[in-house]
Parts: sequence; C-alpha cells; structure tokens
Amino acid sequence: MAEFLPLLLFLCVCLVLLMGYPVAFSLGGTALVFAWLGELGGYFDDAFLQALPNRLYGIMTNETLIAVPLFVFMGIMLERSRVAENLLDTMASLFGSLRGGLGISVTLVGMLLAASTGIVGATVVTMGLLSLPTMLKRNYDPALSCGVICAAGTLGQIIPPSIILVLLGDVLSAAYQQAQLDMGIFSPDTVSVGDLFVGAMLPGLMLVALYLAYIILVALVKPQQVPAIPKEARGAPGELGKKVLKVLVPPLLLIVAVLGWGNSI
Amino acid sequence: MSGSNMLKGLPGLIDTFNEGLGRAVSWLSLLMVLVTVTIVVLRYVFDLGWIWLQESVTYMHASLFLVGAAYTLKHEGHVRVDIFYQRFSPRGRAWIDLFGTLGLLLPVCLFILSVSWDYVAQSWSLHEGSREAGGLDGVYLLKSLILVMAVLLLLQGLSLVLRCLERLFGATSPADSGETS
Repeated sequence: MAEFLPLLLFLCVCLVLLMGYPVAFSLGGTALVFAWLGELGGYFDDAFLQALPNRLYGIMTNETLIAVPLFVFMGIMLERSRVAENLLDTMASLFGSLRGGLGISVTLVGMLLAASTGIVGATVVTMGLLSLPTMLKRNYDPALSCGVICAAGTLGQIIPPSIILVLLGDVLSAAYQQAQLDMGIFSPDTVSVGDLFVGAMLPGLMLVALYLAYIILVALVKPQQVPAIPKEARGAPGELGKKVLKVLVPPLLLIVAVLGWGNSI
Repeated sequence: MSGSNMLKGLPGLIDTFNEGLGRAVSWLSLLMVLVTVTIVVLRYVFDLGWIWLQESVTYMHASLFLVGAAYTLKHEGHVRVDIFYQRFSPRGRAWIDLFGTLGLLLPVCLFILSVSWDYVAQSWSLHEGSREAGGLDGVYLLKSLILVMAVLLLLQGLSLVLRCLERLFGATSPADSGETS
C-alpha cells in the first residue's frame, strides 16, 4: 500500500488540477490530505509537516525570488507606456512591403518584448490585441495569424530574462549543489540565474530564427496566406528610419542593462 | 433572521477589507523597485551598502505576496488549469469553487495556522532579530506574516464559500442558506 501512495497522490493531483480550482491551493490541499492518510496508515512522519513554517520562511527570505515582482513591474510598465504598440507599428511599416512581412514583424517584436520583460501572459494578450486585427484586415490566413502571435508571445518563457528561468534557477542551484555533495564534492560549483540566462540565449534565438524561416517558407509556397501591405497603406520612407531608431532604442537599452546585470550576479 | 442578514453582509465586508489591504501593499512593488535601484547605485557607484536596507526589500517582498494572496483570490488571479473549468456553466463553477475552498483552501489555511503558531510564538518570545549584524530587528514581525496570510486567505475563502452558496441556493428561502452555512 505504502508504495502506491505516491502514485495515487500524483493521479489525484492531476485530477484535482483538471477540475480548475487554483493550482496553489489544489497542490497544497491534496498533499495535506495524503499526508494525513499516510500518517493514519503509519507511512508518513508528522515531523515533515512540522517543518512547514521554516520552509515558508525560507521562501519569504529567498533573495532570488525578489526578481519576480520586479520583472512583472517592468513588463507592465512597457505595456502601459505603449512601447510595445509603437514597436509593432514601426516594425509593420518596415517589413510590410514584403510578403509575410507582418508575420516577421510580430515575431521580432515578440522577441524584443520577451528580451525586455519576461512575462508571458501580458505579452501574448498585448500582441494579440494589437496585431490580429491588422493581420486579418490585410487578408492573412486567420489560423496562421493566431499561430504566429501565440508562438511569438510565448517566447517570453525562454528568452532571458524570463521569470520561468528565475524560478527554475532557484530550484536548480539547490539541486546542483546537493548532487555534487552526494558525489563527494565538498566545494560545489554553483549555477546562478545569470548562467541560465546565458544558456537560454542561443536556443531562444534559434527558436526565433525557425519561426522566421517558417513564415518565409509560407510566403514562398503559399503567398496568398501572407500578402504584402499595398504601397498606398505605407508611410513615407524618409520618416521611417528615424522612427525605427526611436522605438528600438528603449527596449535594446533594457536588454543590454538586464543581461549585463544577469551576468554579474 | 438577523443571523442570516449578517451572513449576507459578511462577504462584502471581507471583500472590502482585503481589497483595501491589497491596494495598500501593492504600493510596495513600486517602493521595492526604487529601493533596489538605490541599493544598486549606492553599491556600484558609491561603494556603500547597509544590510538593513537590503533586508527591507526582503520584508517588502514577503509582505507583498503574503498579504496579496487573499487579494489575488478575490480578483480570481490565482492560476487555474481552465481546460474544463471555462466550459462549465456558472453553477458548475460555483460547485467547484465551493468544494475546492471547503476541501482544499480552508484546510491548508487552518493547517498553516496551527502548525505555524508555536513557530511564530517562539520568535515573539525571543523578540527575534536579524542574524546579520546591522540587520533589521523585526524577524518576529516578518514571521508573523505567515499567520496574517493564513487568516486573510481563510477570510477570503469564507467569503467565496458564502458567495458560492448564494449563487447555488440563492433562489431558496434565506433560512435554507443559513442552515447550510
């Protein structure tokens, strides 16, 4: 019986999560019920539960996690200050003359936003609200438009600085040190959030490159799905250069500042 | 009769309370940003640093998410797996929220309260301060936030339960809803 309890716990957690009650309380509540069951059956030691306050305090004083609200704050500031909107506008007029240009600009803006904020939900919503109507108006294929927006919007998860990586970094560094101690290495190396950021850079950029390659491929094979913006709907070319510089500088500065910081911690 | 009237007013009261608290602590996020910037500038430009200033960011962060937990619950901000939930009828959702709160949220809060009580009490009796020299002396206050979070979530959970009951059985006589709660 005792060896089946973890399996049963896992199945129950999955079921409870699917019911749709908030994840945090579902995990806590189900675990608590199983801890009591285990205690009744004599499989689980009450002392583990007594350690809970100390674990909570550990999370409260965890310095890595402080980065999370700060990144969320930055993301919301970028959204409310309409930096995202201006970026998208300018990119669209820059690449609009190409077939698939709107798709390319959505992907690039997704990458820039991801590199400057790191929250996923807000980016997807913003991009969807801003670019879907434009893409549909230009006769983009609806399925392709939604796909491009969702794919670009979720880049925030992998491209540094991402909040997922901050949370992972906290867990990974503890696990890495423990693993080295178990191997008998008593002066363990550490893995920092900065290391994770550097490590995620190349895969993230590869993903962006693959998205772009896909859009270009679609533009070549099925051009009717990604038509170019007609000439009369575009702005004057002279103004454009200045505008591009103006909207690109703030996010690029942010990226440099954040990644410089990421390497120094 | 007056009892059921009180139960009707209770969710509103709890909601107002947690709303106010949540809005108040939300300013801590801005303060955190400003203090963190100050710390960085002091350290890298002026080569200055105080442990108490750094600890104050930890205190603000802890207060922000512990007090904000109940506010987030009120605003439906806790992450759900909504594959099925979003397709349920309003009544179905009310049932899930009712059972989830009674079976998961409230037990967790009560458990955290009971298991943390001695832990926090011990810290108070020692008047526990920071382990670092020059740190803040309010570790017992910081630890008390665990209890504050549990109580606030408990209250907000109670409000959620009463609202679910109202939504599910609101059409029946007030005496019935008084019995079930």
